[in-house]
Amino acid sequence: MLTESHGFSAARTDIRRAVFCFLATLTALCALALSDARANPLADLPLAKPGEVGSGSLLLRPRDGAEDTPHFRVAPTVATEVEIDAGGLVARATVRQHFHNPGTEWVEGLYVFPLPENAAVDHLRLIVGDRLIEGVIKERQEARRVYEQARREGRKASLLESERPNIFTTSIANIGPGEQVAVEIEYQQTLRYDQAAFSLRFPMVVGPRYVPGEIQSVSLTGNGWAVDGTDRVPDAGRITSPVLRPEEGKINPVALRVRLAAGFPLADIASAYHSVDIVEDGTEAIQVTLAEGAVPADRDFELTWRPEVSTAPIAGLFTEPFDGAHYLLAMILPPDPAAQTETQQTPPREVIFVLDISGSMAGDSIAQAKAALALAIDRLTDQDRFNLVIFNDAASALFAAPQAATPEQRAMAREFVEALEADGGTEMVPALTLALRGQAPSGYLRQVVFLTDGSVGNETELFGIIDADLGSARLFTIGIGSAPNSYFMVKAAETGRGTFTHIGATSEVQDRMTALFEKLESPAMTDLAMTWPDDISPRLSRETLPDLYAGEPVMVIAQVNRLDGALAVSGLRDGVQWRATLDLAEAAPTKGIATLWARDRIDTLMHRGGLDSDPEAIRRDVLDLALKHHLVSKYTSLVAVDVTPSRPADAPLASGKLPHNLPHGWDFDKVFGEAKRALPAPRDQDASLPQLTPVSADGAVGIGTGIALPQGATPAGLQALIGLALMILSLFMLVMWRRRA
Amino acid sequence: MKRSRVYLILAILLAALGVWQVGEAGYMHAKALLAQHLLEESWVDTVTTGKPARPWPWADTSPVARLRVPSLDQDMIVLSGGSGRTLAFAPGHVDGTPQPGAPGLSVIGGHRDTHFRMLRDLTPGTEIHVDDADGAAHIFKVVETRIVDSRDTRLDPIDAKPSLALVTCWPFDAIAPGGPMRYLVIAERTF
Repeated sequence: MLTESHGFSAARTDIRRAVFCFLATLTALCALALSDARANPLADLPLAKPGEVGSGSLLLRPRDGAEDTPHFRVAPTVATEVEIDAGGLVARATVRQHFHNPGTEWVEGLYVFPLPENAAVDHLRLIVGDRLIEGVIKERQEARRVYEQARREGRKASLLESERPNIFTTSIANIGPGEQVAVEIEYQQTLRYDQAAFSLRFPMVVGPRYVPGEIQSVSLTGNGWAVDGTDRVPDAGRITSPVLRPEEGKINPVALRVRLAAGFPLADIASAYHSVDIVEDGTEAIQVTLAEGAVPADRDFELTWRPEVSTAPIAGLFTEPFDGAHYLLAMILPPDPAAQTETQQTPPREVIFVLDISGSMAGDSIAQAKAALALAIDRLTDQDRFNLVIFNDAASALFAAPQAATPEQRAMAREFVEALEADGGTEMVPALTLALRGQAPSGYLRQVVFLTDGSVGNETELFGIIDADLGSARLFTIGIGSAPNSYFMVKAAETGRGTFTHIGATSEVQDRMTALFEKLESPAMTDLAMTWPDDISPRLSRETLPDLYAGEPVMVIAQVNRLDGALAVSGLRDGVQWRATLDLAEAAPTKGIATLWARDRIDTLMHRGGLDSDPEAIRRDVLDLALKHHLVSKYTSLVAVDVTPSRPADAPLASGKLPHNLPHGWDFDKVFGEAKRALPAPRDQDASLPQLTPVSADGAVGIGTGIALPQGATPAGLQALIGLALMILSLFMLVMWRRRA
Repeated sequence: MKRSRVYLILAILLAALGVWQVGEAGYMHAKALLAQHLLEESWVDTVTTGKPARPWPWADTSPVARLRVPSLDQDMIVLSGGSGRTLAFAPGHVDGTPQPGAPGLSVIGGHRDTHFRMLRDLTPGTEIHVDDADGAAHIFKVVETRIVDSRDTRLDPIDAKPSLALVTCWPFDAIAPGGPMRYLVIAERTF
């Protein structure tokens, strides 16, 4: 018994030793294999010097390289300075982009960047040394021709084009080795006034756009990561740029300064996503600068300021004469709905929540969206009805039809939301169609609350669906994340006669959602109308006035032939008539109103162009307006050309698109990781490999510029070694068995 | 009696595992070798019919070119797509880059331990012959070899002249796959 037991424990020790032996061998093998593959092997190799290229650089081939040029080069870098003058209801901004060429060749830089969705861009200046070259407005093709010619002739030139109302591209030709060249852009915009607060937004990075559609053909002229020329986003290559992996570091620093002359005492002023220094220098204006100096361009800047309650403006009227006409900007704030009706009762609502769970939402965004959605679901009462639609590549609804918002149903929905994860593409069409389908029972107010980052490229198609399917429902968009596509969200809400809310940080969810609830639950001001004096024939920047929700003012931009008499605005809230008048003769002269009118008018025309059948007439109208008001639009570009050539005729010019930061909080592998589905990687594929080849919904692969290098090894060697080791161990066991037996 | 059996079972188990692993490794090399013979047939079909012919019915790829290095006595069919699945059979032409011989940088990837082991013997001046799917023959000359880090390198396929980039993993003799370094051979068309 004793011996038996002793023997048994001895055997156990042997087994343990054998297992240990085996594990140790395996570990050693793995360590050997891994160290071989991953150790930095560059030290003894004269050929390879990727270390010379700083993090965040792109190595690209020269475009028209001569026989003896090197095969790779370093892309130029860009740093941005922004100065914004804000006052009254308008802001004027100057954006200066400094391009630096760290390489040894002449290069062309191409920088895709966002501006506010209502920016009227009217100036471009090329700064070479101490010389300023003023840009001129031209029809888009003509501008490009002028630019290309200057580029070929070796002259410095800059071209500013607009890809979307909020996405612009600067091209700058012939930057010499080691040289620095600057481009200055100016724009005008109206400020947002909502819930008694003014806000100013400066977007800093274009989030990668999901480009839906079948791939028709892969053309090689595009420079971005999405597939060129899918059928729904014909300009995909122009609105996408290479995106840097997070570990490559942040580039494109931005320095920003705001001069704010609010015109009334402020209760508070705050920047939502950046720490700022605020200096009141005794004059009327307040200076706001970024506390950290320059920041990486990876999240939007937002400044809000709130007038003291007693001095909060309830109306404003500004004017500018231009080319024989007067331009007017009018703002009137209706009284607070809570003050207006004493026994306010919320009408029962049917709320359809739509949540984007695509890959671009992964990271902070989905967490913010979930928190916002949980609040909204909790806010429903037993008298309300609701449903939830989620989408990425496909859309699905929580319930087949909207259900009464009983506590049980609400709890179930909250649990369902909590378990969601973000991954996949952004096919918004089925989701919108699903959400807008059906009608609320009579007596119910139907509201669609859409939470997304709006990272799509087929905006026009989506507006068409909203316009056609809205019915009596109202669409409220909630922009999530640090760099939402605000052009899409604002326009979608406008088309859907609702409002746009932006949530950029988890800490904001509570405040912003509370403000939205007030809008959702209080009766809206409808049937807004304007009455002008008889002898005035106004041309409005947009034909209809939208419904107003709690805290929102009426904003009107108009071109008028004379300035006298009174403008009356009226509306209906909860069956109660509201009416206010403004004396036109009292309008305060302000610069830039004409520009704002033209910009807003172009926006209206372009928006109609997407829904209308006569695009050519619209194109002509937009072209006329843009040329007259010196504005960059889809059909017009600003171009500046230096008179003297700087690049020697025999030196070649290389070209490359500047890489972007991934917006703050985005998960790189979720956005670009879909490539893994189409390229079923071997088990061993290094998960950190760059995947610049994105994938459309149908799984096909498409590529713009910036081809990532394919993986090129099988695990055969490793497996053979492991196999041999296992066999040796097996032999060893066999010997042990023989000895024991 | 009992404990001796433990050793026997372990021995059999380990032997089975070992055979399986070695078998997998052998299978990979056999696949790489044999596939080329199967591809030969569909390549002929592709060139004669002018339509991409799938090498086997369930394939998601088809031959796009024939790559030859006469000085090294190398001859292989190139498939479309640079995915791991494709590369197991043949070098793969990366989607989104021009066809070999067309203007621009055509990128072809291969495994360093099978088809593209030969890349380490390519030196500037070596001739690479490529027949495209239309039956046209192109001759490229190696102009540069280079080791790059795939994490910060992208290739720009847009170029006026036809050129070729052959890519494989580096170092050639690493045991484990999946490292970040790549060996890059750039060749330009001479005619």
